[in-house]
Amino acid sequence: MLFSGIPFLYYYLPLALLLYFIAPKKLRNTVLLIASLVFYGWGEPKYVVLMSASIIIGYFAGLMIEAFKKPAARKAVLIADIVINLGFLAYFKYTNFFIENFNSIFGLSVPLLKIALPIGISFYTFQILSYAVDVYRGEVRAQRNIINLAAYISFFPQLIAGPIVRYSQIEAELTERKESFDNFACGMQRFVLGLGKKILIANLLGELCDVFRASGDKSVLFYWLYALSFALHIYFDFSGYSDMAIGLGRMFGFHFPENFDYPYVSKSITEFWRRWHMSLGTWFRDYVYIPLGGNRHGKARQILNIFIVWMLTGFWHGAAWNFIIWGLYFAVLLLIEKLFLLKYLEKSKILSRIYTFLLLVISFVVFNAADMKEAFSYIAAMFGAGDVPLVSQEFLYYLKDYAVVLVIACIGATPLVKNTFLRLRENRICGMVIDYATPVFLVGLMLVMTAFLVDGSFNPFLYFRF
Amino acid sequence: MKNKNIILSLVMVVFFGVMSILAWFKPADSFSDAERRKLAQFPDLSLKTVMSGRFMKDFESYTLDQFPLRDGFRSLKANFALHVFNRSANNDIYVLDGHASKMDYPLNTDSVHRAGERFNHVYEKFLKNSDTKVYLSVIPDKNYYMAAQSGALTYDYGKLIEQLKADCGFAKYIDIFDLLELDDYYKTDAHWMQENILPVAEKLAKAMGAPITAEFSKKTIPGDFYGVYYGQSALNLSPDRISYLYSPEMDGYIVHDYQNDKDIPVYNMDKAAGKDPYEMFLSGPLSLVTIENPEAKGNRELVIFRDSFGSSIAPLLASGYNKITLVDIRYMNPDVLGRYIDFDSQDVLFLYSTGVINNSETIK
Repeated sequence: MLFSGIPFLYYYLPLALLLYFIAPKKLRNTVLLIASLVFYGWGEPKYVVLMSASIIIGYFAGLMIEAFKKPAARKAVLIADIVINLGFLAYFKYTNFFIENFNSIFGLSVPLLKIALPIGISFYTFQILSYAVDVYRGEVRAQRNIINLAAYISFFPQLIAGPIVRYSQIEAELTERKESFDNFACGMQRFVLGLGKKILIANLLGELCDVFRASGDKSVLFYWLYALSFALHIYFDFSGYSDMAIGLGRMFGFHFPENFDYPYVSKSITEFWRRWHMSLGTWFRDYVYIPLGGNRHGKARQILNIFIVWMLTGFWHGAAWNFIIWGLYFAVLLLIEKLFLLKYLEKSKILSRIYTFLLLVISFVVFNAADMKEAFSYIAAMFGAGDVPLVSQEFLYYLKDYAVVLVIACIGATPLVKNTFLRLRENRICGMVIDYATPVFLVGLMLVMTAFLVDGSFNPFLYFRF
Repeated sequence: MKNKNIILSLVMVVFFGVMSILAWFKPADSFSDAERRKLAQFPDLSLKTVMSGRFMKDFESYTLDQFPLRDGFRSLKANFALHVFNRSANNDIYVLDGHASKMDYPLNTDSVHRAGERFNHVYEKFLKNSDTKVYLSVIPDKNYYMAAQSGALTYDYGKLIEQLKADCGFAKYIDIFDLLELDDYYKTDAHWMQENILPVAEKLAKAMGAPITAEFSKKTIPGDFYGVYYGQSALNLSPDRISYLYSPEMDGYIVHDYQNDKDIPVYNMDKAAGKDPYEMFLSGPLSLVTIENPEAKGNRELVIFRDSFGSSIAPLLASGYNKITLVDIRYMNPDVLGRYIDFDSQDVLFLYSTGVINNSETIK
């Protein structure tokens, strides 16, 4: 089920909220679990079983790791848990990639498996793994109530597209959280604004990207318009989803970690990855980079670790070479910055941002390409090496057609609006006006977004495929 | 702070509550007049449909189609897109001076070739070895007159015509582009207005050697005509009026609908009062219709391969012919035409709008 769909907004969510708030406190996690399973099953009825299996395995793994005294036994359970859960992920997400490459290398024609990728498997697998590792490290106690653990892993706001919420981050709130008007209002506001990012900006820019791809009238500037639009599209799509997830969690009394912090204002790629998909970046840092040795075993090993982590980061995004190349592209850039460039970038305010944004725009062309051949041809065309004119009729038309949306997106990708509101709030009267105008604004926004949904068609979130 | 959050919470709870109750309990409509289509109904709920995901998919369609105040929301979206986001079109429909039209872009050369190939098929199978005289004419859509002025994307109509002429070398081309202008089309519909196309009919008739002799008077149907773009655009466009040209000669016309095997009127007043009043002309989209005019001089026959534009011009052309046969090969396979028409020495006119030529996948 999509957050940005009529069934979720006006059928599922009101019912889930109603049942949750009328349920006695001790049954609320059970209500959340049932609601989450319905939510997940709505899109993937048969894969509810797979997720349930992962949860049960994770539950017993946690108990056993904590119960066993011998380090070897604890380690064996942890490894078994990791192997099983990564096995599920590898089977469903990567098998066909490996078969395709095997066929290509050895000239064979091993048939591909007819398997669909279970929605959100990359996200919930990482949550289950982090739980087991944290129990193993002694950072959290194993959860004895399987309902609580299952409610955490399957919790519908963050189940299928993050943020990757670690058990340690909401352990206390699983049993002792405070639902309040403050939490509900903040959560609702965040949810509606996230929905706006998705429906009013990301979807429209996604349309523009589709138009470009189908166009027979491409030009150099049209390639750039596409690249810019996709970079903004993916940001508003994904950060919009994260906002909705964080907002929904807050309505139920949970505080999820932030996932985005205006990444496109970054002055370096290093800074960008501290602001983009933060829950994934920190997950790889804590559960891959540091266990591999991080920077503790010399420069050469650190460089190797960086390459491994970024290759895996790319591969996590999709089972295709362009995702791996995309990850390695960042490894190279991060190394260059780490070795010498970062100190210069930090001194500049404008050039460093142009450098960063340009490299990001190019990176997302690779990210969104069907394959590396297409990625190279797009990048070549952007720099005038394609057999296309500088300007085309379609470019001019769509530039004008989407100009307002693009301007809103560009401004919205910076903290300008947020900072302006914060400044206005400092004035008592302005603050009061904003406070009391906010509900009207949110209702108006909901009406407009509902209008776009009613008039539009099915439009899945980009990050569902990961 | 506390009050603010309580107010915000209550407002949003009321909003979602009211909208949800309306969505859950609103009785389902069966048809959308604005969009001229059946609306999705509550899907079949069973273990099989749930496990296959069919129920969920159909439920999504149901919730979109049956959403309360659906037309109002569609209108809100259209106005927001055009006036706030400054989009050039809503769902590809743009407006210029009260005229709405759907962008048709780009030129689909494969589609034009396909149309030519299908016309060639008819020619090879039925016309090549007969004494028929074959003509080709293309009706420009509204975009030809609107797109450049409004900045909408458009294609080179000259290329379309040249390509089709080249593919249909067997037919003599009759150019009617210069006889039409934007005001000859309904503002809210794709079609031309019959009362304005007499010069087109006269040119076609003259080119085919069967001049129109009848005197016509204009009659107007009472009530507003909301064309297909009115509903699709969801904008508050001014409605049209639908008029038709009448001559006393028409009272003697015998019009037969072979699809339903019954006689029908030239102008169907029941259809004029229906959901798509343009269907009043020869009762709308029918695969095979004949108009017999016992008063016509000579013994001329015309076969028109046509789309919906043909319905309104054929009654005017009938003045010069004893019999006109209208064939819509979007609704019937042309291979069976031999059962109904003995191609001998008729005039044969391929009369299609650019919209159909550029999107010819519907032609059989």
